[in-house]
Amino acid sequence: MRIGLQPKRTNILVHLILLPAAFAIAAPFFWILTTAFKDRTEVFSAIPRWLPGHLVLSNFAEAWAMVPFGAYYWNTVVVCFGLLAVQLVTVTLAAYAFARMKFRGNDTLFLMFLMQLMIAPQSIFVPNYLTISSLGLLDTRLAIMAPYFASAFGVFLMRQAFKSMPSELEEAALIDGCSGLQFLWRIAVPLARPSMLAFSLVSITHHWNEFFWPLLVTDTSRARTLTIGIGLFAQSAEGGAEWTLLMAATLIAVGPLIVLFLLFQRHFINSFVQSGLKG
Amino acid sequence: MWNPGNLMCNANPNRGTGCLRSRLRWLAAVRPYLYILPSFMFLFVFTYYPIVRSLLLSLYEWNLSSQMRVFVGMDNYRRLLFDDPLFWQVMRNNALYAIGTIPTSVALGLLLAVLMDREIAGRSVYRVAFFYPTMLPMAAASMIWLWIFTPGYGLLNYYLGKVGFPDIEWVGSAKYALLALIIVAIWKYAGYYMVLLLAGLQGIPHDLYEAARIEGASSWQEFWYVTFPMLSPTTFFVLVMAVINSFQSIDQVYLMTRGGPGNATNMLAYYIYQTAFRFWDVGYASTLTSVLFVILLVTTAAFFRFLGRRIHYT
Repeated sequence: MRIGLQPKRTNILVHLILLPAAFAIAAPFFWILTTAFKDRTEVFSAIPRWLPGHLVLSNFAEAWAMVPFGAYYWNTVVVCFGLLAVQLVTVTLAAYAFARMKFRGNDTLFLMFLMQLMIAPQSIFVPNYLTISSLGLLDTRLAIMAPYFASAFGVFLMRQAFKSMPSELEEAALIDGCSGLQFLWRIAVPLARPSMLAFSLVSITHHWNEFFWPLLVTDTSRARTLTIGIGLFAQSAEGGAEWTLLMAATLIAVGPLIVLFLLFQRHFINSFVQSGLKG
Repeated sequence: MWNPGNLMCNANPNRGTGCLRSRLRWLAAVRPYLYILPSFMFLFVFTYYPIVRSLLLSLYEWNLSSQMRVFVGMDNYRRLLFDDPLFWQVMRNNALYAIGTIPTSVALGLLLAVLMDREIAGRSVYRVAFFYPTMLPMAAASMIWLWIFTPGYGLLNYYLGKVGFPDIEWVGSAKYALLALIIVAIWKYAGYYMVLLLAGLQGIPHDLYEAARIEGASSWQEFWYVTFPMLSPTTFFVLVMAVINSFQSIDQVYLMTRGGPGNATNMLAYYIYQTAFRFWDVGYASTLTSVLFVILLVTTAAFFRFLGRRIHYT
């Protein structure tokens, strides 16, 4: 069963199972990809055409003209990175306190933090909507981000990283007159960079892809993100059943993240493994 | 524990004239709370307060269209238990969705992980092929699958027709719509579970397998007596996560079926959404939200109990 111990024959058997599974799971994406380059009429052919007859590039231009993708892109980028910036501050501070400081009630507080892992903000959308509405934040990017400014998952992940740092480091730094926030910023944070990267990748993926909460709190392209764009386009009269345009729009929306994933797949997958949870 | 109060007095003489020991000590005592405060503030506003608010509002009749809020005690819960057949249908759908999705996707993930736990050609290509659905938004996944499911010229029916199936109305029929959602969910999550389980597999110490082999264990016995028990914490964690996710899933329902046809795919989170934002019945939506809390709480508590009792390994 283990690496390097099995004979060649079993490897062929393994490929016989893995290969069809990989094709089946990859097929939908391949289908998005080819359909986006097909001619409208090819979609309705009785026999599926896995490759377009000729490359039609106009689908992208048409989709771009029908959906305000420029605004959606900007909103998505602002939401993902703005949120991440806030999260990194809140998460690092709290994780550091839980990892390296002793204080009354730390266990209870930590358990209270972990509660967010169980009851995620997206499952309390009714009262959160009321809160956002009474704060006057409806239809803003801030509304999309606010419930996630604190991240129990991030605190959990970074706490592990800070815990594994040797305490001599802290003592040495103190003797050199480097204390408190200075130590955290200059020494602890750089050492915890791998965990920070893992958290960042998971957080960005999660919020780039999030659909329901942003849909609920936004009304116009002022704050709407890419996933809402494709969701609404699909349900609109112009977009419905226009599969070539829809798939082009989908590619426009997921393209950057998928390209990043293909380039840095090991980093992405390891981050998701490390987190084991959704951001 | 180190005591920054004392140390700083020696190391940091430029910190004011008299070494204010007591003030520094006070600062050291307060510092951890200051570090936690920003997170706690946001948790309070967007997690604790809304949880308590849901529980309280579940005791009121409050419809946003009439703006009247009346305390009704347990009436909403009574309505839910005895007067709302839709609630039970929603719970049944959600249970079926969970039963259809979770064992299948976790088992598939486990199978793939066991097969991938070796040196084979194209390993990283396989990993990308299995994992990429995790990177796709459910909005995009729903789009593509809606098309694949389309009767007449959809991909799935074409290939099913090749092996003798009739043209199936997937998303449009009450009979198959839930199954369609389940298929999409399995496709989306199996690779994610595979990656987690693979990491778990790689954490199992080698000598256990060697010992098993010396004892003359077959590869099936190896799996059953070594791999499976050693992997059970990871598996169980994955299962709990899957249960929690299945009761919170809403994107898919919203995008593919809107709960239809005829509520055949209506599930708890979507039902909460409908109640609150289609019928503006915030009181009852809060009651349903409280039910969701109970489900999440029970699942997690069961997980910790199980973890504490059953999974012992040395």
